[in-house]
Amino acid sequence: MSKNLSWEALAGLAVLGAVGVAALAAPRRRAARAAPTGAQTVVVARRLNRAAGTLAACVLTDSAVEHYRGSFHNKSMYAPLASATLNLASSLHGTADPRAAAHYGRNTISAIAVVTGLIGTAFHLYNIGKRTGGFSWQNLFYAAPIGAPAALGLSGVLGAAAERVRNTPPGAAPRILGAPAGRMLAAISSIGLFGSMGEAALLHLRGAYHNPFMWAPVGLPPIAATLLAATVVAPTPRLRAVTKASLNLTALLGFLGMGFHSYGVSRGMGGWSNWGQNLLNGPPIPAPPAFTALALAGLTALELQAAHHER
Amino acid sequence: MSADIRAHVLDAALRAPRATQGRAPDVFREGGWVPMREHPNDEAVDFVIVGTGAGGGTLACRLAELGFSVIALDAGPFFRPLEDFASDETEQTKLYWLDHRIVDGANPITMGGKNSGKAVGGSTVHFAMVSLRFRPEWFRSRSALGYGADWPLDWHDMWRYYTRAEQALSISGPLTYPWGPKRPRYPYRPHELNAAALVLAQGAEAQGYRWTATPLATVSAPRGRSPPCVYRGFCRFGCATNAKQSALTVWIPRALKAGAEIRDLAMVGRIETDGRGLVTGVHYQRSGGWHFQAARNVVVAGYAIETPRLLLASTTQRFPQGLANSSGLVGKNLMTQSNQAVFGRMRREVRWYKGPPSLSISEHWNYEDRKDFFGGYCWMAQGPLPIEWVTVQTGARGLWGEPLRREMQYYNHQVGLKMVGEMLPDERNRVTLSDEKDQYGLPVARITYSWGENDKRLIEHALQQMQESLECAGVSHLFRQEDDTNHLAGTARMGFDAATSVVNSDCRSWDIPNLWVCDGSVFPTTGGVNPSLTIQAIALRTADRIKQLASRGELV
Amino acid sequence: MSAEVRFPGYDVLAKHDGKSWNEATRRTLDARMSVPRQPRFFDPAQWQTLCALCDRIIPQPQGKEPVPLAAMLDARLLSGRTDGFRRATLPQQDEAWRRGLAALDTEARARHGAAFHELKTEDQEQLLHKVQGGEVSREVWGDMSSQEFFCHRVLLDIAAAYYAHPTAWNEIGFGGPASPRGYVRMDFDRRDPWEAAEAHQGEEEQARRDNQRVR
Repeated sequence: MSKNLSWEALAGLAVLGAVGVAALAAPRRRAARAAPTGAQTVVVARRLNRAAGTLAACVLTDSAVEHYRGSFHNKSMYAPLASATLNLASSLHGTADPRAAAHYGRNTISAIAVVTGLIGTAFHLYNIGKRTGGFSWQNLFYAAPIGAPAALGLSGVLGAAAERVRNTPPGAAPRILGAPAGRMLAAISSIGLFGSMGEAALLHLRGAYHNPFMWAPVGLPPIAATLLAATVVAPTPRLRAVTKASLNLTALLGFLGMGFHSYGVSRGMGGWSNWGQNLLNGPPIPAPPAFTALALAGLTALELQAAHHER
Repeated sequence: MSADIRAHVLDAALRAPRATQGRAPDVFREGGWVPMREHPNDEAVDFVIVGTGAGGGTLACRLAELGFSVIALDAGPFFRPLEDFASDETEQTKLYWLDHRIVDGANPITMGGKNSGKAVGGSTVHFAMVSLRFRPEWFRSRSALGYGADWPLDWHDMWRYYTRAEQALSISGPLTYPWGPKRPRYPYRPHELNAAALVLAQGAEAQGYRWTATPLATVSAPRGRSPPCVYRGFCRFGCATNAKQSALTVWIPRALKAGAEIRDLAMVGRIETDGRGLVTGVHYQRSGGWHFQAARNVVVAGYAIETPRLLLASTTQRFPQGLANSSGLVGKNLMTQSNQAVFGRMRREVRWYKGPPSLSISEHWNYEDRKDFFGGYCWMAQGPLPIEWVTVQTGARGLWGEPLRREMQYYNHQVGLKMVGEMLPDERNRVTLSDEKDQYGLPVARITYSWGENDKRLIEHALQQMQESLECAGVSHLFRQEDDTNHLAGTARMGFDAATSVVNSDCRSWDIPNLWVCDGSVFPTTGGVNPSLTIQAIALRTADRIKQLASRGELV
Repeated sequence: MSAEVRFPGYDVLAKHDGKSWNEATRRTLDARMSVPRQPRFFDPAQWQTLCALCDRIIPQPQGKEPVPLAAMLDARLLSGRTDGFRRATLPQQDEAWRRGLAALDTEARARHGAAFHELKTEDQEQLLHKVQGGEVSREVWGDMSSQEFFCHRVLLDIAAAYYAHPTAWNEIGFGGPASPRGYVRMDFDRRDPWEAAEAHQGEEEQARRDNQRVR
């Protein structure tokens, strides 16, 4: 219930999330370049941790705001906050960890995130279905969003993938579930991007695309996701170059989206001074960086492809 | 002078005209202004429009945009919602037409908030924003459905103008509308439903009727300088958010931009005619004195009481029965809409004061003809504020004392369904002039109304249906509100000839070719939905027709 | 459950300087709450009758400051603000009120030998039921219908005055003024932190705490 969660706590979560995003998404090119060649997989794994953490930070802040809006009327609504917080912490830990071995705790936390995401998705689907009108546009617009828990699951998947890559024996090509890691990650990131695009498309439809920029997350990410999916089938260097460019743009778009959403909040009645209403009813500021996170994962996939399956 | 009154008098908009000296209030900015073109009284402008609501405001905008010189006068003040609107039921009665009127008949109409407005923007400033299309058959209700009178308008034509009105007002509505012929997608998405609206949905589903989110003229996302609706629930007392797409926030700003002049606090008392039997302008009172504004055309858009009152009061030797009244129909065939309700209580907290009051609707009985009465009705979710609610308790149930206070305790658990029902035209229901005079020295309108047998059958049917619906939704302690009405129509009906109607399909008077009527008075029948969108669609059409007539040299 | 404990500790005035009230609202409500408590429209006899009548129509709890119903009505009639219409069966509101109060008093004297305000509560109520039902003396009421007066003036005006006051809003858990801030949570059994919390069985203290946080 809202009684237990003061605004201060919520603001704290928001700050934590923002710091997490900033810390994880900040480019660490220098560190990567400085790493010894033998530790290449560790560098890649740490990048994946960074992507997973960015996504976890989005989920944490978004679910905090949305579930606060839902008054935490069901105790299980705290679960994604806990899971995302753990996943964020574990990702920060992984990002800082130079060792070339999987970590039991991080693995477990990733698994929890995946499970929480799956259960959350089921919960949200059940929630929509039981409402008057069922799976109608009305409920798709205003009931629990289907895609949100999936993002938590995805952050877990990325975290788990990071551990698999990190665990690669020296000299071997990293593999995930028996498949080449680069292709596997490309597939995962591509699916995630399509999912996020779907969520943005639905919610921007709810907003009637009143601002032309609202088409951006519906236009660009599917191109990047399609290209990324194509690299699974035909990982050519030329395709990777184009894909990389589109993913970089998508990553940028996620950040710009936060700005646009902040502007959207300011357009609510009373602007930022009425934040108690407008942060909850306006566009969700933490949502767009999910694109950044998935784009980062996609870029990492491209690197893996380049390093291990060159044509 | 009491403190309560002082608060009222402090209201700058009511004290003195604001639209003067080349500027008019900017409704989107506290203390803001926009430039306004002005005309001297002796300049015969192309159009003087009396009234700035759904009819007059829309027409003023479009005529100005089509290049005509336009002055629109309104008896009411020019408000800036952000600074002038309190969140208060009592204070906001300043939006209603509260000048004196007399009501009689077997079922006297309660005048005020539900059927009048006295402000620039007219009653759209405080309307519930419900923006519905007529059922196509209603335009031919005599020939297709067997009652009332046919309209001289083709529904296909109206369908196009409905679309234009919906676009202009950024109506927030469902992606697909469950009744009637296909219509384009509403520009904005439906609003989130509040608990009161969900009760309607549950009841309708249990009855096997379709329901939907109501198309509303309040935006669900930002639009220009309108922020999205904040669900404050004071819609019928003026939108202090400016999310509402009223004539005040949509048509008037556009009209000013296109060069129209708006004169607030300007009460028109008489339309002048000349020896040729043409109108030459209007006499109006503003800032304490009477003035005459010359015009080549006059459009009366004062709604179903003030429009016939002005026409009837403008008698001359040549027009002893009043203007445009050779048929004798000015003031006759007054129609209101039945607005009965069934209310009840739930265990769960509903808090129906949140959000627009009519977020969901079932139009089932507008499109179902297997019934033993003429006409149709819809019903919508409800969200009365405390004074409205206590008025229901005292009016419908006669409660007072402890029983009243006890009943009021359930305010947050209360739900209800309220109908908008079609009443049939009847010449005995009418507006006439009484001997009493108002503060301007003008004869006061007498409004006579009695329900017919068909009206009563329709109401009884609706009450039973709504009661069943609430029962299906698990609502207890049901009771009926049996005497309420809202909206008006019909006192200057449009038709096919001069003998049986006041204006033609272009809203042009049969008798005086440069006199027009453009508001709900022109409705020959009133349908089972709220009339504002239809009034605006007709105004949009009228503007286009005037342009065509002008280009053919057929204006006077 | 009694009127006073349904929303324990809820005071809509706690939002007076918060996000839910704009300047126009503050101006309006401040004026209403400081309405002079003396009659200026009614004469002393009418005023006494009116005060007693208000007590019967809206009985107010002891021990807290009552809503000044008679004063609010007096101020309104003095302002000349009307409903904008009158039923042909009733005189103008000023005259209807003056005549109605006088008639009520005359009825009281005729039936009970005392002024209306001097009667016992039960006698006042009994008399009002007769007025509401039209069982009154024609000589006293003349051409004015006591039923219409009771229904369309007494109940309408006094109830509207009461439920225009923050005290009444506190009792029924109404959110009160709401601009610029409106509401966020629209579903069943949901409240925004700035709305009244209802005291459910056994959770009165929680409701009180929630209500004290309303701003």
